[in-house]
This record gives sequence, structure tokens and C-alpha cells, in this order.
Amino acid sequence: MSLYLRRIAIDGFRKFREPMAIEGLADGLNIVIEPNETGKSTLLEALRAAFFVRHGTKNQLAQSFAPYGGAVGPEIQVSFDADGAPWTVTKRFLRGASIEVTGPKGKAQGEEAEARLHALLGSVRDTSQKGDAGTYGALGLLWVGQAEALSVTGPGQIVRDTVRSTLEAEVGSIMGGAAYTRVRTRIDEQYGRYWSPTGQKRERQKEAQERVDQAEAAARDAAERLAGLERTFSELERARARLKVVEREIADETDLQTRKDLVASLETARAAAQILATRRAEHEAVSAKMRGLEDLAERHRKAIEDQDAAEFALQGARARRAELRDGLTTAKQRLLDARSALEAARTGRQDARDALSRGEDLVRASRRRNAVATARNRHAELVELERLQVEAAALAATLIPAKVLETLEANDRLVAEARATRAAGATRIALSGDASGVSIDGEPMPLGERTLTGETRVRFGNAELVITPPAGAASAEEALATALERQKSALVELGLASLSAARARNDAARDAASELRTIAARVAAVTPADDIIGLAAGPEALKLLVAELSAGADIVESDIPDIALLTATLEAADSALARAEGAHESAVEALRRVEHEDAPLASAEAGAASTVSNANSQIEAIESRPEFPTLAADLARAREETAAAAVRLEGATRDATAHDAAAITRRIEIIDARTKAAGEARSKLEMEVARLEGTIESEGGKGLADREAGAREEAEAARAALYRVTEEADTLKLLRDTLDEARDETSARFVGPVAKRAKRHIERLLPGCDLSFSEDLALEAVVRGGVSEGCGDLSRGTQEQLAVLTRIAFADMLLEQGRPVSLILDDPLVYADDARLDLMVEILSEAAERMQVILLTCRDRAFRHVPGNRISMAGEGSEASAHKT
Amino acid sequence: MKLIHTADWQLGKPYGRFEPEVRAALSEARFDAIDAIGKEAIRHGADHVLVAGDVFDTEGPEDRTIVQAISRMERHPCRWWLLPGNHDFARNGGLWDRVRQRCGDRITVLAEAQAQEIEPGTWLLPAPLTHRHNLDDPTEQFDSMATPGSRIRIGLAHGSIRDFGSQGETKNQIAPDRARRSSLDYLALGDWHGTLSVDARTWYSGTPETDRFQRDDPGHLLLVDVAERRDPLVTPIRTGGFQWLRRSWTVNDQAGFDAECDQLLGSIDPPSTLVELSLAGITSLTDRVGILSKLENDVGHRVRYLDVRASDLVGRPSEDDLASLSVEGMLGVAAAKLTALADAGGADASVAKRALERLFVEYSREGRA
Repeated sequence: MSLYLRRIAIDGFRKFREPMAIEGLADGLNIVIEPNETGKSTLLEALRAAFFVRHGTKNQLAQSFAPYGGAVGPEIQVSFDADGAPWTVTKRFLRGASIEVTGPKGKAQGEEAEARLHALLGSVRDTSQKGDAGTYGALGLLWVGQAEALSVTGPGQIVRDTVRSTLEAEVGSIMGGAAYTRVRTRIDEQYGRYWSPTGQKRERQKEAQERVDQAEAAARDAAERLAGLERTFSELERARARLKVVEREIADETDLQTRKDLVASLETARAAAQILATRRAEHEAVSAKMRGLEDLAERHRKAIEDQDAAEFALQGARARRAELRDGLTTAKQRLLDARSALEAARTGRQDARDALSRGEDLVRASRRRNAVATARNRHAELVELERLQVEAAALAATLIPAKVLETLEANDRLVAEARATRAAGATRIALSGDASGVSIDGEPMPLGERTLTGETRVRFGNAELVITPPAGAASAEEALATALERQKSALVELGLASLSAARARNDAARDAASELRTIAARVAAVTPADDIIGLAAGPEALKLLVAELSAGADIVESDIPDIALLTATLEAADSALARAEGAHESAVEALRRVEHEDAPLASAEAGAASTVSNANSQIEAIESRPEFPTLAADLARAREETAAAAVRLEGATRDATAHDAAAITRRIEIIDARTKAAGEARSKLEMEVARLEGTIESEGGKGLADREAGAREEAEAARAALYRVTEEADTLKLLRDTLDEARDETSARFVGPVAKRAKRHIERLLPGCDLSFSEDLALEAVVRGGVSEGCGDLSRGTQEQLAVLTRIAFADMLLEQGRPVSLILDDPLVYADDARLDLMVEILSEAAERMQVILLTCRDRAFRHVPGNRISMAGEGSEASAHKT
Repeated sequence: MKLIHTADWQLGKPYGRFEPEVRAALSEARFDAIDAIGKEAIRHGADHVLVAGDVFDTEGPEDRTIVQAISRMERHPCRWWLLPGNHDFARNGGLWDRVRQRCGDRITVLAEAQAQEIEPGTWLLPAPLTHRHNLDDPTEQFDSMATPGSRIRIGLAHGSIRDFGSQGETKNQIAPDRARRSSLDYLALGDWHGTLSVDARTWYSGTPETDRFQRDDPGHLLLVDVAERRDPLVTPIRTGGFQWLRRSWTVNDQAGFDAECDQLLGSIDPPSTLVELSLAGITSLTDRVGILSKLENDVGHRVRYLDVRASDLVGRPSEDDLASLSVEGMLGVAAAKLTALADAGGADASVAKRALERLFVEYSREGRA
């Protein structure tokens, strides 16, 4: 059923200090268009106060109802129809607070009146300070104050509960409600002991796991320690067993006996070795003696043999030498003869040679004399040539050097030039006539021309003529003088009178130089070398030779012998000498051959003689020794003794080998080492046993086996506990998840009807959209084209429009419930564009066919065209009027 | 003459899978058993207590365990003859050396296989174990022991009796006719934790304090009256403080369970009873929750220890269960999902079953509103 407001009268409420009333509210759409500050929002506030704010309350909200500065009790009276019956509520706040409700059940006041209102409207008593729209029930949702519907909000508990039966009827199920909440809370609480909100294990699960970890670690530790102790026990057993073995070994007599036997055999062995040494020495001595005797006998035999042989050889040598002696004598004689012949030949040859030599000397002396004579002649020639040469050289030395001659030539040219210059610049005077009385510069002046080069005073009697030639003449004169002077001094220097003399001298000097070269060639020609007199080439050698010869040794000429004859004589002497030499050599050779034959024989003879002598003396020496007479018998006896000694040595050697002292010592050492090792092993094992016993004593008392068993059982218990805890945790997790799923599924089913109704409207606004409602029936998101947009993310305009549309949907559902429903929108759709506004107005108009809708707006233009019941809020004192457009 | 035959004290057993307080009680009970034995010995005039092996649980117990054992024994004016068993076998430097260092002359450690004349003419022939696992029959040695002037020969050994039919070698096995073979008047055996008579002269005394779920009987000792030329008179006497019960119940509803429960609780002394309970059967979810809840909240607190194995107790949600949940909308949906998951089998099925049960438990906790 719709709730139809009919008349609202206000007095002393907030800005309405004076009484104001709105009347003529119609069933359908009512539009109140008034400018700002007119009191539209206050009107809605007054309506809420009349229906939902307890009249007796002094809360903050009620306090705010009083007009500012006013002391009156705010009063509101509302007339309305509900379920076809007329109702009136008159409520006064603060001062003289009262309520009176008139309805189908008659009049009621105070709490009764409040209760009747609550019963009618489904609201509950509001105990808040500032007013709680949640307690207002359906109308709290549907009477929307200014800016209250700008965002999409869910319905309050009362509305949800109210629509539940509708929903339950529709989906055939219920939301769990109290039982669910109770179970869920408990499960969550238990779950929280096992799981963190993010599904991580915690508290009990962790504790159980830790207990397992600790217990297992403890068990492991205990087991290890116990195992360690057990190992010690078994080691101890082993050590004891080994010790027993070692002790048995030590106690064993076998080694001891063996050793004793060995020591005895060692004694035997040592004795045998000693005997062997003795026997060896004996054998040695006997055999040495035997060897001595044998040696003596042998030497004697050999000496006799040598004696015999040497004597035989001596005989032979002597016989042969006797044969050779004649030949030797002959050869010696021949040699003597040959030597005399040779001497003679040598003398002859010497004579011939001397003669030849003398002849040759004579020839050479003759040749020398001739050469000396020739040299003397050439010397005279040379002396003459040298004189000529000196003369020519002197002449040649007068040659004036070319440079000086050039200077002379230049000076000559200068003189000539100076003369020409003077002639050109001089004043020429000529005196003719009578020259007497005429003096020039104090001297008489001759006739004729004269050249003046300086100031000249000519006196004619008493007259004096001063002639001054041009200035240049004087300097020219000077230059000439200088040039002349220079030339003169140059010539004087050379001792010449003039330049031409100089030239002539130079020519003569040149000729002399050429003459000199000729003379030199001639000197060379007259001074050749001459081997005969040992003369070298050159004038000096010749001059020296002549100077030496001056002694004038004039040797007398002698006959020149015949050299050829002398030479032939010498050659004949030479060949005679050669022949004599050959004969001498052959004689020497013959003698040598004979002597050669004789020499070995002589030495053999001498050797044999010596051997015989030696042998004789040796035999004598041997035979003179005392043992010689019994030598043969002694030797035989010595041999027998040696044989016997050898047999004894053999025996001793055998004995010594049978008892090897070194081998026995080694065996004794082995036995000793074994005994020592056993002793060491025993003490080591005893130490080990003591150590292990100590360990067992200290560790054994700790009850390790007990602890190990306890720890093991604790670990098992911990594992069992962990298993139970895990099981419990899994159970709780599954249960909780299942509860979540159940809730989600159920709420999905529950919001279905809400969504269906809302969608009917919203689809007109957002075609093709899907809606997503939360469990508490709030619109959460709009799904467009598969994209889900949270309501908070939509544009403000859309949010506002959705807020209005969902309210209409709830209003529809409440209407179905038979709840009194009315929709009041204060200043709605402020963000709507024209198209949306038209659409929304259309939807609102349709809704107005099912329920009363009151629009409070200040926007005349926006709502001017909207068909509906126009209401205006009249001024103070007057009542608002309504008119249908 | 009278003597006490006991064995398998297993002192120092850790009981690691129990909660600390239960563990402490069980450990302490084993020491208390010594006092119980000592008292019985005095009460029945037995001068000798023969302990047939496994006095200690391990070969390496804590010093405290040893000292406790010795001091408890020495409180009673009788002679104690301790035989090393397989748990506490004798070896050099081991456990028994530690015991000897501490005990007085009324305690004798029989670590060597040498006959002892405990009373004039009465010889004790011990067969101590020197290894954890002996392959030979340790009682073979009886035949080579000299017992000059013996009138009564008593054997003391630890190990299991060789089965006549068994083949191959097993550990510490004792000839079943050892008493006859070695002319023993009595053979006191240990290792078997229950009281058992092999023949008239061969007995296992069992442990004086039960230590595991194996048999329901509590621990006993044997009072043995031996005499020449006759079989001994053997009387088991209870010494055990705790009873270890293992039960398997098949229940199909709460009522059946309750009946079993009442019967059990009526027949036992709950504070000294440990129970290992295996449940099997198919019940409704409500019943299963009810059963487990009773075990957890009631029975478990009454007895010393309760170990419930309910994996074979299948709780299937009944129609009613599911209906009551489905009224609750989302809870119903969740229950349906879990049921489907549980029915689908596979790895998650068991988790799903538990989750379903948990959901039901939580839903039922404060009654259905």
C-alpha cells in the first residue's frame, strides 16, 4: 500500500517561525518547485520528525528543531492516508512535548501513539543523538534528503528484514541468520587458532609442528647419545677381548722356550766360528811354509838350467866371432887406403881452385882502373857544368815578380793620367818679347810658354802681375807629384831606373831559367852509375868518388892469366875428388857391414858370460843355505801337512755354516720385538679400557637409554598430536570454506529478486547492463560489456541515478509486502543531463502510478514540463496551494 | 619354604604418549609396585623375592630410577634377587654395576650364571641375559651349575618358552621342559607380562603393574611355596594399581552406547583405569555427536585415561539432521555440500565427514533455537 501524505502543517520549526502548511498532495506525482531558502529541506525534516523522532526526546536532533533564538515548542501536524484509512499525527517537541495520533483505531497519545506509528511504518525507536535513518525503516530509505542520494547505499537492516520474506518466498530458501552467524563466529574463532587470515598456519598448528620438531630433534639427539654410549660399550668389549688375546700371547711360553734354545745355539755357533778361524790360520801357516820350500827348490833348478844354457851360448858366440875377425881386418885396411886417396884428391882440387881465384882477381882490378879513369873525365865535365848552372841561377833570380811589375805598370798609367789632368787644368802663359825685368815669382822669367799651376807673381818692373790659375790646377800638380813619387820609390826599391829597364831584366831572367833546365839534363847525363867502381848515379856520388881517388893509388899493371885454363884444371880436380869420395864411402860401408855382423855376437857373448856368472853365484847362494841339504825331504813333509790342514779347515767351515750366529740373532730379535709389541699393545689396550670405562661411568649414569626411550615416545606423541591438529585444522578450513561458499551461493540467490527489480529500471538507463549486489543487498557494481565497474567508480550523475532507481526497486518490493510506502526526493537528479533527466522523470512518473511520489526541487526549468500535481509553499500564515497541470 | 616370584618391573618406562600427569602417575605406580611386593612378602612370610628379569625398562636408566628402586626395596626386610633380563641385560660397566655400587647386601644382582645357596640346601640357579638378544637358551647353563648338597633347586630365567612347533632361531627362548630337564623344583620366569603357568613347576609371574593395553588383568605377583618332592603351591596375588582395559564396542545409537558405557563404568574403578576404546558402527550424526560428546565431556574425565578410536564409528547425517540444518538456510547449504563431498569419497571425504560433524556439533551446541 502506498502511504499518501495529504497535508503537512508546521509551526515554530526551524526556519518556519510562523505556521505554514502544504495541502492538496495528490496520489501520484507531486512536484514542489520553490527557489532556494524556501524551506523544502526543512519540510522533509519536519516530516521525519513527525513520524520518527520521539516527541519526548531532548536529543541533539530535537534541540535543532527549535527556531534560532525561539523559545516555542516546534509543532508538526501531518495528515495522511494509509491502507485507505485517514491518519493524523500531531507532534510537539521540547517545550510542551506531546504526540497525538488519530487513525482507524481512534486517537492515541504519548507512547501509545508512538507505538502505533512504529507499528504502521515498521520503524523502531531511535535512541541516537543525531537521528538514525536506519531506525526509520522503509521510509528512511525512501524519503531522501538533499544530497543523501548522491551515492548508492544499501538498505538498512529493517528494510532488508522486511523484504526478506519476499525474497525467501521467491528463492525458496533463507539466509542463515542468527544460527549461521553463531556457527560462523565459533568456527572463525576456532579457525583463527589454526590459520592466519591469509591461510598461513599459526598458533596451534605451529605449536604442534614445533613440538614435533623439538621432540624429533630431542629424540635424534638422545638416540645419538645413546648410540654413542652403546658404541663405547662395544668398543670396551672389543678392547677387552683384544686385551685378553694380548695377555694370552704374553703368557704364552713358546716364544720364551724358543728364545732359550736359540740362545744356546748361538753359543754353539760362536764356538764353531772361533774354531774355523783357528783352522784357517793353521792352514795358512802350513801352506806358506810349503810354498817357501817349493820356491827354493824351483829357484835352484832354474839357476842350473840357466847356467847350462848360457855356457852353450857363450861357446857358439865365440866360435862365430873367430870366423869374422879376418874379414874385419881386411875392411879396415881398405878404408885406410881410401881415406888417403881422398885426402890427395882434396888437396889437388884446392890448388886448382886457388889458382882460378887469383886469375879472376887480376881481371877485376884491370876493369876497375878503366872505370876510374872514365869517372875522372866525367868529373871535370861536371865541374864546368856546375859553374854554368850557378851563373844561370843567379840571373834567373833577378826575375821581378809579376805583381810588382803590375804595380809599376799601374803607377806609370797614373803618372800619365796625372800629367794629362795637369795639362788640362793649367794656365799657360807665353812670354815673348823682351824678358828683362820680368821676373816671375821673384825669379827672372824666361821666354816661351809656361804653364802655371799656382798663384804666380810676374813682375814687370814695378808692376806685378799676379796670375792665379784655376783652383784645379794646383791639385792636379799635386797628384802628378804623388804619382811620380810613388813610381820613383817603386823603381828605387827594385834598383831600376825605369819601367822599360824592369821589363828588359825580366826577359833576361826568364832566359836564364830555361838555360838552367838544360844544364841539369847535361849534369844527369855525365853522372851515370858504374857498378865496377861502386859508383851511384848523380853528381854528388861522382864528386865523392873522385875526392877519394885523389890518393892516386896507381896500381901497376900485371899480366892477365888464362882463366879458361884455370877453370878446366879445377873441373878435373873436382871429378878426381868425387871419385875418391865414392871409394872411401864404399870402404866405410864394407867395414860397417862386418862390424854389424860381429856386434850381436859380441853382446851375446857378453850376455851369456854374465848369465853364467849370475847362475853360478845363485847356485852357490842356494846351496850354501842350511835347509838345502834336506830340502827334498822337508818339501815332501810340508806337502803332507798342508793337505791335513786343508781337511781340518773344511770340517771347521762346515761346522760354522751349520750354526749361523747372525740368523739366530735375527730370530732372537724378532721374538724380542714381538714380546715388546705385545707389552705395548697391552698397556695401550689397558689405557683404552680404562678410558672407555670412564666414559661409560660418566655417561651411563645419565640414563641415556631412559631418555632416549622417553624422547622417542614423546616424538611419536608429538607426531600424533600434529596429525590430530592438522586434521582439525583441515577440518576447520574445509568447514569455513564451505560456509563461505554456502553464504556466497545463498546470497547470490537472494539478491536475484532485488537485482531483477532494479534491473527493470536500470536497464533503461544503462541498456544491456548486469547488476552485482552484495550480500546486504547494496548495489556493488554494474557490469557493462563484460567489464565490472564498482559503483564508487561511476560518474556522480550515474551514481545518483542508480541510487534513486534502486530505491524505487526497494519501494516496489516493500509495496508488495503491503508496507506503507512513499517516495520523497529532495532536490534530486542535480547531476543528470537532459536525456537522463527526461528518462528519470519518466521512470518516476511510472512509479508514481504505484505510490505517492513527492519531488522537492528548486529547478523550475528542469521540471517545468513534467506533468504532475504542482504544489507551492505559500508564505507565512498562508497555506500552500496545489493545482493540477 | 615360601618365596615371592615377580618379574618385568620395567622401572623407568617413559609412557611418552601420555599426558604429563598420567605419565607421572604411571611411572610412580611402577615404584609403588615394589612396596606392594615387599608388603606381600612380609605378610606371607616370604624371605626371598625373586625378580625374573626386566627390573628396569632400559639398560641405561636415570640415576633417580635406580636409587628409587633400591630405596624402595630396602624398606622391606626381605632379600631381593635381581636377574638381568633382555631390557636390562648385564654387561661390564653397565646398569648392574651402577646398582651394585648403591645397594646393600640384601639386594643381590645375579649378573653371573652361578648358583646361589639362598638358604641351606636351597639353591637358586640364575640365567642372566648378557645381551639384548641372546640366541641360545640361557637356561642351558643350569645343567653345568654345581649345587652341592641341594635339596631344593629353583631356576630363575627371562625369555619366552620355545614353541614345540617353531622352527629357526628366535630370541632368548627357553626349553619348555627346562624344569624337568634340570631337575628344578620351580622355574621362575619373566618376560611375559601376564601370569601364566607353563607347567606345574614353571611359571611366568607377569608384571606387578601392567604397562600397556594388552590384557585386562591388573598386575600380580606369585607367592610360591616350594618343598622337596612335590609340586610348588603357587598363588597369584594382585599388586597392580592400574587396570588397562581395551574395549571394542559396536554401537548403532546413543542408547546402545549408553548401555555399554554404564556397564563398563559399573564394573571398574574409574580413577585407576585406563581405557582404550574402539567404536564401530553406523549412527546418525546427532548420535555420533552425542556419543563422542559424552566420552569427551564425561567418561574421559572419570577414568584415568581414555583413548577413543572412533574412526570406525560412522556418523551419517540422518534425514532429520539434514532437515534441521536446512531450515537454517546457509548452514543447510553448507551441510549439503559437505555431505556431497563426504559421499564422493576420495582424499577429502574423511575431512568432509569431520567438517560436517563439526558443523553439526557447533550448530547443536546451544540447542536449536
